[in-house]
Amino acid sequence: MPEPGATPIPFTVIGGFLGAGKTTLLNRLLVAPHGRRFAVLVNDFGSVDIDGRLIVAHGGDTIALANGCLCCSIGDSLATTLLDLLERPDRFDHVVVEASGVADPGRIADIGGIEPRLSRDGVIVVVDAADVRARAADRYVGDTVLRQIAAADLLVLNKRDLVEDAEATTLKTWLEGIAGAVAVVEARHADVPLAALFGLPPGADLHPAAPACEPAFRTWTFATPHPLSREGLVAVLDALPSPVLRAKGFVRFADSPGRRALLQRVGRRSRLDDEGAWGLGRLVSEIVVIGTPDMPSDADLAARFETAARPVVDAAVLSATLDRTR
Amino acid sequence: MSRTVIYRARRIVTMNPGNPFATHVAVREGRILGAGSLEQLAGWGAHDLDERFADKVLLPGFVEGHSHAFEGGVWQFPYLGYFDRAGPDGTISRGLRNIEEVVARLREVEKAMPRDGSTLLAWGFDPIYFGGRRMDLSDLDKVSTDRPVVVIHSNFHVLNANTPVFRKAGIDRSTNVHGVVKDATGEPTGELQEMTAKFMAYKAAGVQLASLLSDNEAVWRFARVAQLAGVTTATDLHNELPQSTVDGYLEASAREDFPIRLLPAFAAGLVPLAEVPDRLAGLVKRNNEKLRFGLVKIVTDGSIQGLSARMRWPGYYDGTPNGVWNVGPDEIDRTLLAYHRAGFQVHVHTNGDEASEVALNAIEKALAAAPRWDHRHTLQHCQMADASQFRRMKALGACVNLFANHLYYWGDVHYEKTLGPERAERMDACATALATGVPFAIHCDAPVTPIGPLFTAWCAVNRLTASGRTLGEAEKIGVADALRAITLGAAWTLKLDDEIGSIETGKRADFAVLDDDPLTVDPTRLKDVGVWGTVLGGRVFEAPRRA
Ligand SMILES: [Zn+2]
Ligand SMILES: [Zn+2]
Repeated sequence: MPEPGATPIPFTVIGGFLGAGKTTLLNRLLVAPHGRRFAVLVNDFGSVDIDGRLIVAHGGDTIALANGCLCCSIGDSLATTLLDLLERPDRFDHVVVEASGVADPGRIADIGGIEPRLSRDGVIVVVDAADVRARAADRYVGDTVLRQIAAADLLVLNKRDLVEDAEATTLKTWLEGIAGAVAVVEARHADVPLAALFGLPPGADLHPAAPACEPAFRTWTFATPHPLSREGLVAVLDALPSPVLRAKGFVRFADSPGRRALLQRVGRRSRLDDEGAWGLGRLVSEIVVIGTPDMPSDADLAARFETAARPVVDAAVLSATLDRTR
Repeated sequence: MSRTVIYRARRIVTMNPGNPFATHVAVREGRILGAGSLEQLAGWGAHDLDERFADKVLLPGFVEGHSHAFEGGVWQFPYLGYFDRAGPDGTISRGLRNIEEVVARLREVEKAMPRDGSTLLAWGFDPIYFGGRRMDLSDLDKVSTDRPVVVIHSNFHVLNANTPVFRKAGIDRSTNVHGVVKDATGEPTGELQEMTAKFMAYKAAGVQLASLLSDNEAVWRFARVAQLAGVTTATDLHNELPQSTVDGYLEASAREDFPIRLLPAFAAGLVPLAEVPDRLAGLVKRNNEKLRFGLVKIVTDGSIQGLSARMRWPGYYDGTPNGVWNVGPDEIDRTLLAYHRAGFQVHVHTNGDEASEVALNAIEKALAAAPRWDHRHTLQHCQMADASQFRRMKALGACVNLFANHLYYWGDVHYEKTLGPERAERMDACATALATGVPFAIHCDAPVTPIGPLFTAWCAVNRLTASGRTLGEAEKIGVADALRAITLGAAWTLKLDDEIGSIETGKRADFAVLDDDPLTVDPTRLKDVGVWGTVLGGRVFEAPRRA
């Protein structure tokens, strides 16, 4: 058990049909020198192919890596494996579950909603650009594939190099028709902007082999000393277009200016959690937005967020501010 | 030479068509010398005549082709089902007829527990018989407002909990999660479903639940519950077989007083395919008379009543979207082929007819890739198969084990909601299996329904639902055929028909000892025929007298 009040661990589920590239993506995540401790739960070790030099211990159903990451096999029950993991003395910064090829990743992500030690970070669904349409039309698994796509907060259109640009555009429209205005990240060999997908600190060097093809993504930061309007911010977030992959930050709302809210957004799903009093921290709302190069320009983003931050002078705000200075 | 015992019985029903009835059976070295009259058997030489079954009827020991040793695990928790159910010591847990009775039972249990805040876990609850009334937080809060209380439903896919559980998990009206059931006002009702239910059950019971349910004691409890029902051979039809379980099974089966032959089926798909056939072959080397490794199980879909079975067009009668694959068709093909090539027999769980179709496709592909006679791959449950699928089974040399108990327990739901009248009436189509010549058995899937082959046979013969509706006159089978299905038929699906399943020369001396003759009682009373006990390998196991 973590000490009460410990920050919940972000919980990500990676779904997608067999062969779409989930494992490749996980391998990239496990071996990237991101300075964070990931616990990755996979269906079986047979498919993961972790660089042997990184393995420090291989015991039964877990593989410990030199970078502090851990790879566990799910065994007979995801529930028991996950609970086991949460009981371990070592803390992880992020827990990732690889859903089976036919599982609905949304249902697995539900665990993040009922386990206080986890916070649902997002459902990433990987699809094979060359084959997803055929799979979706398959007599036996078509509905399964469509359910997976519909459950995504963020889609990875993998094996993008196997289709022409025009086809990719059609595919994206088709995917959005199923999943709604969900962020779609194009990738080859599951080479995705890991930092954007998993909310790593910007600038982290994520490529052990350091090829020159670091997938591009942009970061933009919004900071304001003015308390934000809650409805205003929610409206801004709801209107963000799909190339915005993530947003994270601390927010001071005009309706509760003495308290700090944590904003987390993955794909199109945002959540705001009350984190308690500001304490002695600077009374500044700060939100980091990460997206593909197609996301709105810095100026456009600034204009959007400014609408939520019109200066509000009201007695509650004033007294909360004064309280701290006494 | 070891001692020969000749048992006299009121009647012996042998399941051997060449010698169907007898009054005596001679046993030596745990095996059957023969069945016949005393004069016929006296020719075997010196013997002791044992008269204790003189007023009993002997049948071949019943063979439960689809059960789970997990049945022995759940009995360490209180049972809350609607129907009476016998526990491992023979005591009957009375069925609870409404939620108030369930709450009262739980309060009793709670009072007897240490005051250490430990979780009260119970099982077998089934609200479908309570006229639409569901259990809610306030019901279980009457049991305790500080001790966590978790009630697992009979389907093992849904649970109810009390406020302490919800509070600790931080589940409230703001929790927006699929498996958290809410009322019209948006408050959680106390019911959790599927993944969230499973997670919470394990969490509430501690992560040890899995091992608790399969510890060494559990397999003994399972064996005893089976023995009480006249079963001498039972499967544990899905087990990952970790070393601790293997050791426990080896230890139990080596004991003289272990009352059944146990057949664990290895849970395929949990271990990389490349490694398994070897691992299983290693286990087979450790087989003994009462423990047989070698079966393999693949689970393809969910359950019909859980709305997770994979159905062919037109799907669920009430419009519910199609169910879920446990593993996809490609993986079913690959897994089945791997075990098929390695020479193992595969049991495939298929509830919906689309799942059955995929399983048949897999068998057909495996046979094309690696022809093999007498594989006896078996479709388990196979509840929705139509006549064409039975013809395919026959053509492919497959067997089927039909879930006859379902007719009684969920038949009404299938008729009204899940399948609709036509498909409900043909479900678990024993008569079609018989007419098509597909070797078949019938089963209970304990702990999903209680283990009791005579009850299962009664279901296949009478096809009555819990409400008294006859579900499919055309699929009824006769008592003799049903008795064959729970003995020789099941033995065939386990490739043990050379050893057990009938009372004839050379087979193991495994008998079900009954108070009455199931062939002469009114077929509607078949389930009420008393089981005195069993004989296993010549050793007599009297069932404890029931309360
Ligand atoms: Zn099953
Ligand atoms: Zn089963």
